[in-house]
Amino acid sequence: MNDTSPPVKRPGFFSIFGFFFGISAITIGGGYVMVPVIQRALEKRGWLPEDEFYDLFATAQSVPGPLALNTAMFAGRRVAGLPGFLAAFLGILLPPFAAILLLAALLGAIGDWPVVQGFLDGAFAVVPGLTAALAFNMIRKRRWTPLRAVMTVASAVAITLAGTWAVPTFFAVVAVSAFAERKGAC
Amino acid sequence: MLRLALVFLKIGVAAYGGGWTIVGIIRTEIVGRAWMSAEEFAKLVAMAQITPGPVALNAATLVGYRLHGLLGAAVSTLAVVAAPVALSLLIGGFFAKATKSGARLTEALKTGTIGLIAMTVWAFAPAAVSSGLNVAIALTAFAVSAFTRINPLWIILGSGVIGAATRAFLG
Repeated sequence: MNDTSPPVKRPGFFSIFGFFFGISAITIGGGYVMVPVIQRALEKRGWLPEDEFYDLFATAQSVPGPLALNTAMFAGRRVAGLPGFLAAFLGILLPPFAAILLLAALLGAIGDWPVVQGFLDGAFAVVPGLTAALAFNMIRKRRWTPLRAVMTVASAVAITLAGTWAVPTFFAVVAVSAFAERKGAC
Repeated sequence: MLRLALVFLKIGVAAYGGGWTIVGIIRTEIVGRAWMSAEEFAKLVAMAQITPGPVALNAATLVGYRLHGLLGAAVSTLAVVAAPVALSLLIGGFFAKATKSGARLTEALKTGTIGLIAMTVWAFAPAAVSSGLNVAIALTAFAVSAFTRINPLWIILGSGVIGAATRAFLG
């Protein structure tokens, strides 16, 4: 024993898999709900302190993909290397996959009931409001410069009009604005 | 099936900004290609958000399932996470350290991400104004999630119940 060894024994593949499987199975509401849950649970187990978690979270945001999945994969790797990475991936992915297939089968049977239709219509009606709030929060939290404002408006218009070209347009916008930021800084 | 995989690979590469941005891209790709009607997709999004797990993954799984059954569900789910997983493996924990070029890239990504979320809002906005009830629900959802810390799940479930009750009593 020397004092550089970590205070807690490294958890194995199955305990990490079980950990994320549990969180993914019971947390409804996507990344912004799941990430805080993951953070608190990791801290409680003594696997990862809070400040390190937020470093990982920042890194996870620089990679495309569902936020909850990325954060879990980075945390899994930080805690237990590649096996932890794989365990987190499978643990997050499997419960919704199974739940979705069950729900799809169930709706195949009762999906035509008016009450079920009404419920789905109501649940969908929140989507424009939720996404608008997300945009609002991103806009509110950002540090604005005139350059960023112009680029962002141009980006919003271009990507919205791009249709199935939205993905290439997104990368073009990112490239142009990375270049513009550099010019502005020099 | 191959085209389904390719479309979801492409979606995965640009999947910045979390769940709803990705759902917006999926909608543009799938409804834009006429693989699914806007109403069908709306129903699917409603299901995706009341199922546990990341909403974007759920939406991808559902689209695959609806188009090509169980195999389609597996293909679309794996395709949409392929790029994120590969990139996560490649870049270490070093990338997001506050280097100057890292900060620049983060800002550029924010510019693009706000663009993507604007597209998502635009794509779903017509659904919000289709009835008075939907306008009210959308405005409430906006106010609650922009100005309070209440879990959006309660708004989703509450709206679902209101929708079901309206349908049951008013036909």
